Amino acid sequence: MEHHHQPESRRHPARSNGASPSTEEQGIVFIVDDDFSVRAALEDLLGSIGLNVQSFGTVQEFLDSRRPDAAGCIVLDVRLPGTSGLEFQRLLARSEINLPIIFISGHGDIAISVQAMKLGAIEFLTKPLREQELVDAVQFGIARERTRRQEARRLDGVKERLQSLTPREREVFELVIAGRQSKIIAADLKLSVMTVKVHRSHVMRKMGAKSLIDLARMANSLGIPAQDGT
Amino acid sequence: MKEKTVAAEIRANRAEAELRKLQAGLAHVSRVTTLGELTASLAHEVSQPLAGVVSSADACLHWLAAQPPNVDKARRATERIMRDAKRATDVVARVRNLAKKNPLQRTWVDINETVEETISLATGELTQNNVSLEMQLANNLPRVWADRIQLQQVILNLIINACEALTKVDDGTRKLFVSSASELVGLVLVVRDSGPGIDPEEIEAVFEAFHTTKPSGMGMGLAVSRSIIESHGGRLWAEPNEPRGAIFKFIIPSEKESA
Repeated sequence: MEHHHQPESRRHPARSNGASPSTEEQGIVFIVDDDFSVRAALEDLLGSIGLNVQSFGTVQEFLDSRRPDAAGCIVLDVRLPGTSGLEFQRLLARSEINLPIIFISGHGDIAISVQAMKLGAIEFLTKPLREQELVDAVQFGIARERTRRQEARRLDGVKERLQSLTPREREVFELVIAGRQSKIIAADLKLSVMTVKVHRSHVMRKMGAKSLIDLARMANSLGIPAQDGT
Repeated sequence: MKEKTVAAEIRANRAEAELRKLQAGLAHVSRVTTLGELTASLAHEVSQPLAGVVSSADACLHWLAAQPPNVDKARRATERIMRDAKRATDVVARVRNLAKKNPLQRTWVDINETVEETISLATGELTQNNVSLEMQLANNLPRVWADRIQLQQVILNLIINACEALTKVDDGTRKLFVSSASELVGLVLVVRDSGPGIDPEEIEAVFEAFHTTKPSGMGMGLAVSRSIIESHGGRLWAEPNEPRGAIFKFIIPSEKESA
């Protein structure tokens, strides 16, 4: 694989001094590496392309820190005193911290890198790091996390809206999703067709659905099956 | 009669000189062997600061390419590059010193400095094996008249042995304790581990040549270490640690006792 070393200015548009974009906008990178040389260098390097960075010497320090609620990723050394990088990855997989991980290692250990990638690491990079590879991986990680966060926020919204439905509306909602026509729903629930139609329009309005397909998608993301109840 | 005594003395002197040369040669071989065992972790000790150098240089270029250039940040990055390059150079110099075949060279040695230099060579090994190190070095210790490289060799040997012993325990308490102190008889250096310890019946045998518990070892480390300490007029021995593990101690006369 060829890695062209281009002048910095071409790769990243030079930023003016001192401009500090917001964390939410730029994302944040958490560095966990026990070596102070590596830590300081990476912190400065990622900072120089406009990313927000926080660095830690151990996994414990990271866990004890107050981290901003923003899209981010972790640049994680494989070999750490105490909890190792791989152990930490497993720990995170079981926790509610969803940050994507980019592993960095002093050795190109294939067995470890395979293990790390299987557990969902974004990249496994060997030190000394090639700047472009690191930056690409970090930006990919942040973008992925940003998408995940947006998706989670959207889902939260849908859940909230679902909570606002009355029990009757909820019933109608599920039957509509199952593909029943108002007439059938009316018969099933022993209501007039007119009443069902009113409920149905309430459901559409409360859920903020533009169409039946839109509503079906919401149901799908909530895990409500569009089953056929006949 | 007198001639005979002189001749015998000459022969004895020659034999002693030969022996010293052999001992120095053996010490050198043993030292190089130890360094060989450390290759992976020493490479790591050099590559970490080099990784820092590369990324700091990348950062420095960014700061210079900014509009306007951020000279202050660029300077700080350059300072880090200097510091990290020195760090890598120091490791290389220390390895080279240990690997060199030097004639015995005694000087007034600060034992704490020697311990710290040695530890810096073993850091990678300790981290890799998840060993936590605790040091308790006494202040204002008298110096010792010693060959600095040979002392480093002994200390390195004790640390590597302890580290290896510690990898045999899996309950997460891999603690290595190194301390120095001044006592009546001289300077005492203690290396204590919480490994599986040594069988009490074996506690002297570990100092015998070719005694080894590791598949790759030559079994010379402790034998050579003891001969080095004894050639410095000191003693090296082992004791059981409480509740578990081994303690290695050496004592060598300092300038206080020799004065």
